[in-house]
Amino acid sequence: MTNAWIAIGALAAVAVIIPLSMMLVSWLLRPSVPEQGKRATYESGEIPTGSSRSIKFNIQYYMVALLFVVFDIETVLIFPWTVIYTDAIEQVGLFRALVPMLVFIGILVVGLAWAWRNGAVEWVRSERAEEQRIERTEG
Amino acid sequence: MTLPETLNGLLPIGGLAGEVVAAVIGAALIGTIMLTNTAVAGPWAKRKITAKFTDRIAVNRVGPAGLLIIVADAVRLLAKELIVPEGVDRPAWDLAPLLIASSALLGFAVIPMGSGLQLADPETGLAFVFAVASMASLGLVMAGYASNNKFSFLGGLRAVAQNLAYEIPLVLTGASVVLFTGTLQMSEIVAAQQGALFTLGPVAIPSWFAFVNPFAFVLFMIANLAEVGRNPFDIPEAPTEIVAGYQTEYSSVYFVLVYLGEFVHIFLGGAIAATLFLGGPAGPILPGFVWFLIKIWAVFLFTQWARSALPRVRIDQLIQIGWKGMLVLSFANLVLTAVIVGAIA
Repeated sequence: MTNAWIAIGALAAVAVIIPLSMMLVSWLLRPSVPEQGKRATYESGEIPTGSSRSIKFNIQYYMVALLFVVFDIETVLIFPWTVIYTDAIEQVGLFRALVPMLVFIGILVVGLAWAWRNGAVEWVRSERAEEQRIERTEG
Repeated sequence: MTLPETLNGLLPIGGLAGEVVAAVIGAALIGTIMLTNTAVAGPWAKRKITAKFTDRIAVNRVGPAGLLIIVADAVRLLAKELIVPEGVDRPAWDLAPLLIASSALLGFAVIPMGSGLQLADPETGLAFVFAVASMASLGLVMAGYASNNKFSFLGGLRAVAQNLAYEIPLVLTGASVVLFTGTLQMSEIVAAQQGALFTLGPVAIPSWFAFVNPFAFVLFMIANLAEVGRNPFDIPEAPTEIVAGYQTEYSSVYFVLVYLGEFVHIFLGGAIAATLFLGGPAGPILPGFVWFLIKIWAVFLFTQWARSALPRVRIDQLIQIGWKGMLVLSFANLVLTAVIVGAIA
């Protein structure tokens, strides 16, 4: 039995070398004529205004991102349970194998329900956006 | 027996050096196989399939059935000038295409392709492949932020939101398969699907998890569409809304790498779906590797079908479908599967 991670490491190396060699081939083939207008940021043919890093974008889904961390750790905890589940039923019975995980998932579902009720799992949840939405449906 | 072990038996070198040489040869072979598939899919098959769906002809001038367009496109794109836009965040902007392409390729390390073509078979195979597949979203964010373009920036942020929403349903439906198999090792997951579920006259229906648990399969395919960013979830690119999303400012070889990475990612999604739900490389008469190719191309065809047939959802709808629909359903699937497996055992 050879070590699996040697092979995975080899593919990691190959997976980096292939794109790098493509970059090298392209570097040998391609012309370089950096004119002024050519390098302008693409904004549908208009003269670009400002930098993309100076615009203020409201990342309203940060609550979703926080929720994701919770659920992601949860899946990490669920995976070992799924692996030993059938063995655990044989050893300690269905009740003790299943119910603690159901309680665990139940707590998280309550958390999701709370987030849902508070409007955390929405793309836009500012009051102003909500107002605009109502105006649009009325007009 | 994995591919490096077979090669190691053929090579006259022993010890660690032999292992490393065999691993590198095996890795190069797997990488070449997947790049060949991608080369056929990207410039040729995608155009042909989309053309068939929309009643057009597509490429047919260069070579038989336009097949040589693959070579022509490769040369054309690699020989294009690399335009570096003003104000890009240089190391990140260069690293993003590399990360997108190589993370998708790395996922194939643990996929059993049949006919002895499996590079590695660690006990944590499934966890590894999910972990590597989700690394691509980091590349998308890097590309979106570093491009200094508002469309790219929006595309990158959308990519994060989408991957956050659909990663958990994807992994949880994968976990519901593990409930049946009791292992994360890919070869064991394939082996668990070899028996006959029931016989329908002369035809034995195999116990593929797509037949055992069709609900999980449907959930997985939907989450997979979102994961690879194809309609109805192609929000991060959304050509009619934000130009091309995170890849707006990429040209020449970087564009090739981003594009290639996307297609390898579609194939990786197909390979995970094939391994978890479609019996991996199993199938009658034809050798295993051919069946593996048929299955991943079937999933590819499905993504292209969805691309041609389904309208794009809005970003807020996407978040709602993900968090209020898919997540709840995938939890229901997991709990129900656990109860049913427990009742059978």
